[in-house]
Amino acid sequence: MSIAPADQPLLEIDNLRVNFNTPTGIVRAVRGLSFTLGRERLGIVGESGSGKSMTGRAILDLIPWPGEVLADRMVYRGQDLLAMPRAERRRLRGRHISMVMQDPKFSLNPVVTVGEQIAEAYRVHHRASRREARERSLAMLEAVKIREPARVYELYAHEVSGGMGQRIMIAMMLIAEPDILIADEPTSALDVTVQLQVLKILDDLVTDRGMGLIFISHDLHLVQSFCDRVIVMYGGKAMETLPAAELADAGAMAKRHPYTLGLLGCLPDLDHRRDKLQTLTRDPAWLA
Amino acid sequence: MNGGPAITVEHLNVSFGDSHVVRDLSFTVQEGESYGIVGESGSGKSTVLRVLAGLNRDWSGTVTILGEAQGPRRDKAFHRAVQMVFQDPYGSLHPKKTVDDTLAEPLAIHGIGDREPRIARALKDVGLPMAFRYRYPHQLSGGQRQRVAIARALILEPGILLLDEPTSALDVSIQAEVLNLLQALRSERRLTYILVSHDLAVVGHMCDRLMVMQLGKGVEEMQAATLSARAPVTEYAKELLTASEGFRRS
Repeated sequence: MSIAPADQPLLEIDNLRVNFNTPTGIVRAVRGLSFTLGRERLGIVGESGSGKSMTGRAILDLIPWPGEVLADRMVYRGQDLLAMPRAERRRLRGRHISMVMQDPKFSLNPVVTVGEQIAEAYRVHHRASRREARERSLAMLEAVKIREPARVYELYAHEVSGGMGQRIMIAMMLIAEPDILIADEPTSALDVTVQLQVLKILDDLVTDRGMGLIFISHDLHLVQSFCDRVIVMYGGKAMETLPAAELADAGAMAKRHPYTLGLLGCLPDLDHRRDKLQTLTRDPAWLA
Repeated sequence: MNGGPAITVEHLNVSFGDSHVVRDLSFTVQEGESYGIVGESGSGKSTVLRVLAGLNRDWSGTVTILGEAQGPRRDKAFHRAVQMVFQDPYGSLHPKKTVDDTLAEPLAIHGIGDREPRIARALKDVGLPMAFRYRYPHQLSGGQRQRVAIARALILEPGILLLDEPTSALDVSIQAEVLNLLQALRSERRLTYILVSHDLAVVGHMCDRLMVMQLGKGVEEMQAATLSARAPVTEYAKELLTASEGFRRS
């Protein structure tokens, strides 16, 4: 595969729609989302049901029946994802575009050691001997800051803590060295101090390897402090896309979408104690 | 507003087998006060609440609630005075019981009459329309379920409410509504709250004083104002506060 020029976006998406055809009608989970991803940290924030996870899954072609993914354009480094045969799409998945799920408890195989799972991920995408895959996996465990990788390699999913499990998942997704990592609430099951360690690992990957990261989260504070740009989603649509720093910039509030303001307003804030928190009023016109 | 201590805990210890999950914890909550307990998972914060509610019978130390020393078992009068709201509104309501059944059960247990008006009032107090009375939990959203759980706790008119991460399963907009509801109920009824949470901003918003726990120990007790002033004394409390402010690129 040819190396794309550095300024070419990794991913270009135009008018993405995800529909579920149910007996009672069409449920539109994503309604016309467009964005481009460069070598950056792109945050997608929204409440439950806003379509943020569906967006991540649609990019990987992981929407189950009866869902369907429609788009005007979906391009990964110059390759048209929509025109691509399924088999080729599958080769891309995991190797070039990868996804870390929210909860390691439910995403790791309980009957295979975590090390073997990482090695398997490597051997699926690369021709390598078992021994080489094992060495690679150990190096990867070390890269995600796991102490005693040789010991952890032999453990099963139930024997590792939540933070360790999440790092193991990240190791598994990164061993194929993808260009794009989609992280769906990768830290919301973790304690704050562990959360920061995991974010640091993701952050280094973007900075050092030039990976593109799509960071899906419901936590505005976290996204604001971690990401470069943020898409705020509501009801399957992007309400606005903005530089993350502007979420905390009081001077920029006048330009903000009322939904973004609403979300910020209902967060309890240590610096501004109020008797009553602001509640959100949703305007049907936002989805028109 | 206050008439002495509502809850006094002295030298509380809890062990599960070999693991010592609460270590020599002491604190006092005044009547009408809102007291927070914060900590990471495994800090023992929920265990403390379960001991207070009488759900965990294996502990040592002294627990005095509303002037009475508590043993491992609690009587009916205790449960009428002390109620608890749990974290997961999807797990804490019986899936095959309607809202009406759920709210009627505490009344039946305690032999309280006037079912009709009490249920109607409980729904009104938590801001749920009467139309919800005969719905099942799966017909309600997360926020509505948590309102039902709060109504179930309040229907016995307790003086003390134990809140275990009441909003951490909810979206921020719904969290704001539930926190506002809890604040309003507290000032109307002069309730005493103990709120357990991992979210410092929520505790800072809801509580007058709080305790930071780590690995079963009470590390630091402080006023909520200390939190806003970013002035905790212990290293761990400082670390927790810094971590909760988000990611920092070094």
